[in-house]
Amino acid sequence: MIKPSNIEIDREKGNFHYPTSKYAFDAGIGLSEDVVKYISDVKKEDDWILDFRLKAHSIFDKKPMPTHWATKDLENIDFDVIRYYLAQGQKPSRTWEEVPDDIKNTFERLGIPEQERKFLAGVEAQFDSEAAYSHMKEDLEKQGVIFVGPTEGLRDHPEIFKKWFGKVIPSSDNKFSALNSAVFSGGSFIYVPPGVKLAQPLQAYFRINAENFGQFERTLIIADEGAEITYMEGCTAPKFETSTLHSAVVELVALKGAKIQYITVQNWSNNVYNLVTKRAMADEEAEVRWIDCNIGSRLTMKYPGVVLKGRKARGEVLSIALANDGQHQDTGAKMVHAANETSSNVIAKSVSIGEGRSSYRGLVQIPGHLRHCRNNTECDALLINSESQTDTYPAITIKGDDNSVQHEASVSKVSEEQIFYMQQRGLNEAEAMSLYVNGFVNDLIREFPMEYSVELKRLIDLEMEGSVG
Amino acid sequence: MVSTPSHSKHMDSQFLTPDFFESFSAKRSWEPGWLADFRKDSWDKFLSLPIKKNKDERWRFSPRARLGFSNFDQLAESPKPSILNGQKIEGILFDTLDQTILNAPSSLLDLPNMQGPNLGADDTFLLGCCFSELGVFLKTEKGIIEKKPLKHCHFAPKNNQSLFQTNIISLEPFSELTIIEIFESEVMDTGGTLSNLSHIKLAEGAKLNRILIQKVNQLSTFNHLESIQLGRNSEFTNISLQLGGAQSRSESKGVIAGEGASFNNFSLSLGNGEQLFDQRTVQHHISPHGKSNLLYKNALLDESKSIFSGLIKVDPIAQNTDAYQTNRNLLLSANAEADSLPGLEILANEVKCSHGATTSKIDNQELFYLLSRGIHRNVAEKLIVLGFFDEIIREAGTQETIELLRDEISHHFN
Repeated sequence: MIKPSNIEIDREKGNFHYPTSKYAFDAGIGLSEDVVKYISDVKKEDDWILDFRLKAHSIFDKKPMPTHWATKDLENIDFDVIRYYLAQGQKPSRTWEEVPDDIKNTFERLGIPEQERKFLAGVEAQFDSEAAYSHMKEDLEKQGVIFVGPTEGLRDHPEIFKKWFGKVIPSSDNKFSALNSAVFSGGSFIYVPPGVKLAQPLQAYFRINAENFGQFERTLIIADEGAEITYMEGCTAPKFETSTLHSAVVELVALKGAKIQYITVQNWSNNVYNLVTKRAMADEEAEVRWIDCNIGSRLTMKYPGVVLKGRKARGEVLSIALANDGQHQDTGAKMVHAANETSSNVIAKSVSIGEGRSSYRGLVQIPGHLRHCRNNTECDALLINSESQTDTYPAITIKGDDNSVQHEASVSKVSEEQIFYMQQRGLNEAEAMSLYVNGFVNDLIREFPMEYSVELKRLIDLEMEGSVG
Repeated sequence: MVSTPSHSKHMDSQFLTPDFFESFSAKRSWEPGWLADFRKDSWDKFLSLPIKKNKDERWRFSPRARLGFSNFDQLAESPKPSILNGQKIEGILFDTLDQTILNAPSSLLDLPNMQGPNLGADDTFLLGCCFSELGVFLKTEKGIIEKKPLKHCHFAPKNNQSLFQTNIISLEPFSELTIIEIFESEVMDTGGTLSNLSHIKLAEGAKLNRILIQKVNQLSTFNHLESIQLGRNSEFTNISLQLGGAQSRSESKGVIAGEGASFNNFSLSLGNGEQLFDQRTVQHHISPHGKSNLLYKNALLDESKSIFSGLIKVDPIAQNTDAYQTNRNLLLSANAEADSLPGLEILANEVKCSHGATTSKIDNQELFYLLSRGIHRNVAEKLIVLGFFDEIIREAGTQETIELLRDEISHHFN
């Protein structure tokens, strides 16, 4: 059970706040059919989308909370005090000049370098529930890549997106996917045409800005045959006094021979419930890779999955979780094998600091009629203090005499000898500890693009501050 | 009588009705009052069990319908377990439970305080507390060291009957003992359900080796719930061989309650036909410097299925714990299924804990090697399974017990 944090942390750090009164659209607090209709109306959506939302809303009402296995902290979410939709009523901007100043300020506070800001073409920076800045580089357009928000995606390119929308993750998958399906706004819809290999990663920054305002972005990425794409999302959130809910749905579709790499760095503030459903479908010889790093939030429940649907498909989840005081990182991976010769790999590393708790929850399924399927799962946990906690709950179902899986998990603490060694060479204890933790997760951090791994190392240093002594 | 939904669906079984319980306790009115109270209390708790929830993590992957009591209509009063030796050893009290109730009821006074493993089969546990007449009671005196294994056999009932037993094994400080427990069937052509509760308690410095062989016939159901308390510097090594039963549910909880205690829990299961092995385990460390090592190996032929769910729990106080948990499954047929739920909950930081689970098929090269030497496939598989099990069999101590285990496994293949 997570206690509300009463620890002294610098809450001003990353405190981006704007008066909410200027929002042009505000659906009020609480969730009802009217709110769903209102959101759909504001977005001028087709009837089928409204039907989809309403159906999802009724599923949400019926579904129980998953508390028979999950943390009881979920019961502290009060769905009636959350704002489900809020936007400035602006169209996604086309050029840098059109981006409102306050959003530019946020970028400033985030410390995005001047050079990079100009280079933010291809970046979908989400401001609350609408994409505030959306500009595609010309060569992306030339290649036929579509990179839009869900509203535009479903309105302008239904022939592409409608087919897969809500198919990888049906609304009824769980309570929070139903919630998202009912009130989603913002997010990225991406289509990469056959054979197009994107050299540069596409990026999106999400942030939450109004109090008690849950963010429900919806992402759908389709990589057509032989296409390749890397997508990155990074999160920062402003400070709030009461708990905030973030519940996204991310669907990836990798068609024959396509490759998708989805990178997340999650650093919500310590009062955010981050309950995200992420799943990919991998067709023949396709490859999907989730690289997932969870540092922030009060409670994260996120188990990226891959349904390996085509022969020789490959799925991978690399996950790093850091749980500090008052945090519970409940992360993991799901690998559903549904074709011959599919393989999957899960490597999860977690660090529990102070009173933090990290959990790994995994699922691997290989039915009996399949041949030559393989899974490898490794989870390593590091405990820093005596109050830290770590749990591992994998679930493995294997049938058939021609498949193999292996699962390994280990729990260890920081080696005193190594800390002593580093201290001997002039590092203080905190620096030594930080170096140790960085070393523990290093082989995964290397998988991140360069700027992210630098950022991550800084974040780990920051988290380790004051964790010893 | 109040009828609650939890037992109304069992109404076919005459022993699950309030009337039956009334007549059962009337028949046993000669028992001491505290024991009657304990039976009544357990019965009331059984009646007030909540209605089965569809989603109970403790039953994940388990086909619950196969493990209920509704198929068994009568309570069995026999067969009694047999104690093959050891009844007359100096310093060891070893008798059947019914005799102990009759002759030395005061030695059972602690029974109402004995907890079950509490890993899901609440109904089995409460009914066991309520209806156990048979079982064994074993208690050593302080410092008794007995080299010769003590053996006792238990029998599954016939004709859809249900038998509940309680075994109490308690070792006083610094005593050492080896026991062999056999579970088999009374008859081969019909089967009932045998539900066995075991309470094992080791005081300071005690050592217990236990070999358990379960070979009830394949028409029977076997429930085995055991909880083990390990005192300071005590050692318990358990080797159980599970061969029989149409379906079986075994729950095993070891509590490392004293500093420096050591708990080895090994299990081998060999499944064929449509056998089901549902295994739930916990290693709970509540004291520092404890060691536990669990290894469950399942070899599955035909359409057999195994579920392994294990948990290592380390309390904040249990620093310097070494705890390991391993589940290895060998699938020998395309329709065999192995589910594995190895879990860890670690709340102390000065620990070495790991778990591993692997599921794989027979190595084709090994098989080819054997086949190319003219060995029949069935025999080749047997040899490979024996090899797969060998690391546990070798732990069985004397050559005699090792041979006993090997023979039982080989026999199962023929």
